[in-house]
Formats: sequence, C-alpha cells, structure tokens
Amino acid sequence: MASDRTRRRTWTIGAFVTALVAILYISGGVVSGFRSAANLVVTPFSWTINAVARPIGHMFAGAVNYSDVVAQNQKLRYQLGQAQLRANEVWALERQLQQLTTELDVPYIGSLPTVSAQVTTLSPTNFAATVDISKGRDSGVLVGMPVIANGGLVGQVIATTPRGATVRLITDVNSSIGVTFGNAKVSLVISGRGVNNGLGATAVPLSTAIKPGTVLSTDGLRGGTFPPGIPVASVSNVSLTPGAATYDLKLRPLADLRNMMYLDVVLWEPST
Amino acid sequence: MSRALVPVTIITLFIVALQLSILSSLRFEGVVVMLVWLWPFAMGLAGLTALGVWSAVVAGVFFDAHATTPFGLTALVGLILAYGASRLGKEGVGDLDSAAWWVTPVLAGAGGLGAPLLYAVLGFFTLHFSLWRGSTLDMMVVNAVAFFFLARPFGRLARFAGNVGARARR
Repeated sequence: MASDRTRRRTWTIGAFVTALVAILYISGGVVSGFRSAANLVVTPFSWTINAVARPIGHMFAGAVNYSDVVAQNQKLRYQLGQAQLRANEVWALERQLQQLTTELDVPYIGSLPTVSAQVTTLSPTNFAATVDISKGRDSGVLVGMPVIANGGLVGQVIATTPRGATVRLITDVNSSIGVTFGNAKVSLVISGRGVNNGLGATAVPLSTAIKPGTVLSTDGLRGGTFPPGIPVASVSNVSLTPGAATYDLKLRPLADLRNMMYLDVVLWEPST
Repeated sequence: MSRALVPVTIITLFIVALQLSILSSLRFEGVVVMLVWLWPFAMGLAGLTALGVWSAVVAGVFFDAHATTPFGLTALVGLILAYGASRLGKEGVGDLDSAAWWVTPVLAGAGGLGAPLLYAVLGFFTLHFSLWRGSTLDMMVVNAVAFFFLARPFGRLARFAGNVGARARR
C-alpha cells in the first residue's frame, strides 16, 4: 500500500511539475521574471562555492603552472611591444581610411562608437555558445548590436539587462552571418556549428574563387544584421563532393573565442 | 520524504551553483560535465524516486534560468533520468552495497551517454531543431566518462541525503 501511495505521489509531483514547466515555457514573460528570481536564489550558493573553490583552484594552478606563467608573461610583453609598434603604424592608415569611407558614405567599424565590457560568465550549457558581459542597457548596449574582440567579430547581443547582456557567439548553432571577401562581388551566408566546431558554409557556387586562408568579413548588405567590413573568419578547408555543383567551407573564427576576458560592443543597431 | 526535502534541496542548490560557477569554465574537450543530471540520476539509483524527481526539477529549472537554451528542457531530461534510474533503484540494481562495484558506474555512464542525445531529441518537441548540430557525440562521451567516475561518490551523497530524513523521523 505504502509503495502505491509513493508511486501516486511521485506521479502527482511529476505531472504538476511538468505542467508548471510547460506553462512557464509557453508564457515567455513569466520566464524572464523567473530567471531573475532564480538568479537571486542561486547567487548565495554560488558565492559560497566561489569563496571556497576559487582560492584553492588558484593556489594549485599557481603552484603547478608557475614556470608557464613566467614564460607566458615574457611572451605577452614581447607581443605587447610588437602590437604597440603596429598600432603606431596603423594609426595613420586608419585616419586615411576613415576619411575615404566618410567621403564614400560607407559605415566603417573604426568610426563607430564602442563600449568595452568584461566577460562575466561563459555559457553553462553545451547546447548554446553564449557569454554574459558586464555592460547592459545603462551603457547603451541594445539587442542586435555586434560584438568584436581580439581580431574579429565575436557575436551579437541577444538579451540585455540594465547592467549586463548576453552575447550569442558566432559559433552558436543559431548564428548566421552574411559575409563577403576580395572585391566584395560575392556574398555568402556562414553559420555556427557549435562550440568546438567553428563555422561553416554550404552550397558555395564553384565559380567562387575561394581558397584556404581567405579572410571573410561582414557584407553589411541592406537589412543586414552587421555593419560591413568586420573580419569574421578565415577559410580553413574547402571540400568538394565529386559531381556536385557547389562546395562546402570549413571556417575558423579570427577572434580567439576560447580566451576572451574583454570585448567591445559596437554601438550600431541593425536596420529594421 | 518531507524531512529529507530540505537537505536534498540545499544540496541540489549547491550542485547547481557548482555547475554554474566552476564547471561552466572547467571544460573537457570543450564539453561541460552536467552534474545537474548526475545528481537526480544518483538519487534515483538510491531508490529515492520522489526525491530524485524533485532534485531533477529544482536543479534543471534553476540551471535553465541561467542558460539561453529552451527553458525547462534540462529539468525534463533530469526528470526522465531520475525516474528511469529509480525504477532500477527500487529493484536494488544500482545499490552501492549489494550490487557489484561496477554496476552503479556503468549505469551512470549509460545515463551520461544518453542524456545529451535525449536533450537534443526532446529539443525537437520544443521546436528547437538545431540542438543536435553541436558536438553531441563529444558531449555524450565526456559525460559518460565523468558520470562513470562520479557515480559512486554521488551515490553515497544521495544515500546520505535520503538518510537525513529517515534519522529525523526516528
């Protein structure tokens, strides 16, 4: 009898919870409110875990990787010196380019204002490639704005709060970007293939002269979701199925998406 | 069950916090180990059906509140895992003391192997057709290995949490 009662209770709880989750899922507004409430509940537990685990983790990491850290520091100093040299060279060229693009009335990323933000959280799940950043609506960050970092396009803002935002990375399976290359006569749509799989493009016409190493940048076509000229990815592999009239591309993002501490939100809204 | 509800809920929230704070950064081959699925699975194997279902829902809902994936899907997968494991747990199949030492880890490994696939399949029913396009195979393998090694510690923790309620009743 007791087991019958337990079974009944289990089924009742299961049915109730399923119905609750279904209702929450269907009513999107409630979900966003619930997300905020859930954040509040979990935050004290996260603080406790962080307070205990982080110092221990740092201690072990520091002890084990000390020589690596020193070597990395020296390498970074060298790279910083090189970057400063290059920045000085690029400065003059950028000014020229800005003048030219202004005359041609073509938007250029260098002339668009940006907001720097720190990456606060990586996506906790395997099924979405997103990051949370430290700047939100209060800093002018809005849904749809492109995000750039170390070398190229990183993604697009998909949700905002007053002091934070969620960025969908270009490698997310729901991400698709219009790109072009060379003399900008050909436009392609590339899409994310998951956190570990980079980007790809399918059904590229054989007439397109594209080869490994070609750099693709946003095409900024009218109604496009990104301004033109932001470097996105380079072609890492071109595969042709025998007999097919098109080929597939495997692409590597130019930005290092695995080591992001800071990134820039471009204050540019997609045309609607 | 009602007495054990409080400790189980608190442990579950700590596991969610651990998942969000530490494991989201600590990736293996780019894959996050989903403790929020292992915990209800271990509860189920311990024969604690109602508590397993409860912990699946709490862990899943609070986890989903922090992710951009379909809300409730993690909870649903955890719920199915917990219920399936509890059917075995009731028969004593996954019992840590009476069964051979490898039974619990192998069952958990199978759970870890199937969970990401189940997630991707259930995504179809919530009209999210692209969930399978990620590294599903990597997720399955990494979670299976992690579940295999973590099954016994989590099993002991589940049994401890369940016993807290029983001791309180006495």
